[in-house]
Amino acid sequence: MATWILGVSALFHDSAVALLRDGEVVAAAQEERFTRIKHDHELPVRAAEWALAEAGIEPTDLDWLVFYEKPLAKFQRILVNSVAEFPRAWRSFPRAMQSWLGRKLWVAGELSRTFHVPPQKLLFSQHHQSHAASAFLTSPFEDAAILTVDGVGELATTGLWRGRPEAPHIEPVAEVVFPHSLGLFYSAMTAFLGFAVNEGEYKVMGMAAFGEPVFMDEMRKLVRLDDNGGFTLDLEAFCWHWHPTESYTTRLVGILGTPRFPGTPFDPTTQEGKHWANIAASTQAMLEEALLHVARHARERIDSPNLCLAGGVALNAVANTRLAEAGPFENIWVQPAAGDAGGALGAALWAWHDVLEKPRTPGPFVCSLGRSWDADTAAELLEDLRAPRERLTEDTWLERVVDDLEGGGVVGWFQGRAELGPRALGQRSILADPRGEATRDRVNARIKFRESFRPFAPAVTAEAADRYFDIHPALAGPVRHMVATATVKPEHRELLAAVTHVDGSARVQVVHAEDSPRFHALLTAFGARTGLPVLLNTSFNLKGDPIVDTPIDALAALYSSDLDAVYVGRHRVTRSERVRGGDLKEYLPEEIRNAGAAPAR
Amino acid sequence: MGRPRRTWLKLVSPLAWSRKDSEQRFLASFSETERGSSVDMLAACELTERRDLRRKYFIHALDEARHSRMFARRAKEFGARQSRARAALDDANTLQTHGIVMGRPLFERYGELEFLAFVCRSEAMAVEQFGVYRELDFLDDKTNVMLDNILRDEHFHVGYSRTELERYTRQGRGAEVTWAQRKVFWRRPWEAWMRFSLRVGHVVTGIWMTLLYVLVVAPFKLGARREAAGWRAVKPDPRSRMAAARGQG
Repeated sequence: MATWILGVSALFHDSAVALLRDGEVVAAAQEERFTRIKHDHELPVRAAEWALAEAGIEPTDLDWLVFYEKPLAKFQRILVNSVAEFPRAWRSFPRAMQSWLGRKLWVAGELSRTFHVPPQKLLFSQHHQSHAASAFLTSPFEDAAILTVDGVGELATTGLWRGRPEAPHIEPVAEVVFPHSLGLFYSAMTAFLGFAVNEGEYKVMGMAAFGEPVFMDEMRKLVRLDDNGGFTLDLEAFCWHWHPTESYTTRLVGILGTPRFPGTPFDPTTQEGKHWANIAASTQAMLEEALLHVARHARERIDSPNLCLAGGVALNAVANTRLAEAGPFENIWVQPAAGDAGGALGAALWAWHDVLEKPRTPGPFVCSLGRSWDADTAAELLEDLRAPRERLTEDTWLERVVDDLEGGGVVGWFQGRAELGPRALGQRSILADPRGEATRDRVNARIKFRESFRPFAPAVTAEAADRYFDIHPALAGPVRHMVATATVKPEHRELLAAVTHVDGSARVQVVHAEDSPRFHALLTAFGARTGLPVLLNTSFNLKGDPIVDTPIDALAALYSSDLDAVYVGRHRVTRSERVRGGDLKEYLPEEIRNAGAAPAR
Repeated sequence: MGRPRRTWLKLVSPLAWSRKDSEQRFLASFSETERGSSVDMLAACELTERRDLRRKYFIHALDEARHSRMFARRAKEFGARQSRARAALDDANTLQTHGIVMGRPLFERYGELEFLAFVCRSEAMAVEQFGVYRELDFLDDKTNVMLDNILRDEHFHVGYSRTELERYTRQGRGAEVTWAQRKVFWRRPWEAWMRFSLRVGHVVTGIWMTLLYVLVVAPFKLGARREAAGWRAVKPDPRSRMAAARGQG
């Protein structure tokens, strides 16, 4: 009899499930892909239903359901913090109590009822333990130092763990606790720079490249690095520990000046734009400095040349690269769902290896664990929508994609199983020719509808990566998942203009045939035609939407943007007025029909 | 919908829109509503077993997404200073106006027929509301042009959903259609009442919790202190691994 374990992360942001069969991940997905609500935090009901159906089992077949954190420990932190911050936490206390007493405190019962699992089959990991497990237990390492860095879990905001070859594979060593948090510091600065928390952090990272870290003196007062390898924040400049909605105080405004108003256009050539870029650069540099400080401490305490990183901060590709370049570790591993979505995966793996004490054999990790669509179902859906499509043959289809790309087209690429985590790694991607800045501007403005300063990532075959990029050897793992950056070789920067950031860096994805065979084949075919096995690769979604998960989502993106074509498996789908067809005019009132006003697209 | 709602809209709308910052507030709220509708319609498109309806749901979803972008763009042109407006226009997840409850989309909870009745009524109400705005002509030209564009689409949404309901009636399912329409009609005031009750409950518990904080929690402040900064060692859990894993704290 196989042992089935379902890992669940939920109720804060990015809820997800991961299903294990005898320790092997058979399915993992975020709820947002099913509900189409970005960062959906609700219990991942539909993702779980899909995962069980994918495995062909019923809820009663589950041996364990593992929640990714311990609710009582988290509640205790909120209570104790509210008392410690009396009286200024008077606004956050009622809100927190309403939320916790109304629901979150009783999550065990809700999990049991929702997923039809008896209470005796419920297990609870710790938040940072889940992160640590999601990193180490998917890594190729026998042993490692594990750093988990995010906003806050139960109490910890930063965790240091020892990854061992035998159970317990994840051993806690030390932690930094709330309210001192590098993740919350970065989020507060994200809010200060006028971006949405839990969403705009990537924008701060992108904006940083346009500026200089001229505010480092101020930043070092905000985040003081301690002699013992930890850090202390100036808690009078921040208020996440006592304010229900804000994260920084007038003290921060006094130090850095007026915050940027959300939605203000960012032009790095203006004085104002330069000022914001300088703050972003200083924030990024401070984060990197603090992470390096923490990593050096980790190296002193743990005798391993390997470092595993997880938690939301581990999605900061630039900081990961700095750790590789200046840090004390020889190898670094970050898996692509390093945020809370990966907590579901980590919780399940932790239960298998550390609670049930099953041995572990480090091996390759492939993140294509989500939903896929068989050709017939996809064809039926496309047929129903009357979307113009061609079914291409095995021999010709890649050449056709290359035709589109070489002709300046921007295509949606919908192949195989969806990726877990926020990165599109060649299963649900928007692809374009990386040559020329015009492509970047077009994709930003007319397809993704996002800010013009944001860079795009290149995907390159593993065989050609060294030709175009300088990749630090410690980052061989992370660059497979687009969670580290590389330097574009100076002689290729002009050629790769669409994917080279202003500082000459690129968040490269190195594609191996064993990770993503179709995507690798496409890159190879593009290289054979153009001499450049590199493509612009960005996530297949429009602004504000989760990454597409169904052929219908993919078509909705096609019809709502300037995409030229979408490849659903071997179907090439294009836009056409046929979808809205003349037959629909019959539904309009006569006066509108007579006025010749067909519903506008 | 009928005359009372129309009369009410005629009376209230100019007043409501004359308030400071009302343009961006309303337009941003419309943007969020339309975006939520788009999510509901996409789910219907995926879940329906009626292949002839799938394309209509799809077009409807595209329309709603486009309306959402139009409203958002116009709201931004007005400045969008209000926090709700600001949030709705940002690309973060602020989407709350949608029909998904515990992962169940509106379509799955209602079923095809009731979903169509819901679409028909909601869209007819939108036609009425935007129609009143146009009739009274109190908005600026640019917003009016946008509303005209949107109204055309809304007419299509009403048209196809009504036609489908009529088709069901012709198929001898008139009683089901009437029942679905009644349910949809009464669900709106019921949900409004539930929302109101929830809000009242929220305010009341908020007051109680604030009192609790001030009167009961205060003395504990004497013994409480903030956690120290810097690294601290983690003590090993004395429980067995399974016992520790079963614990919630």
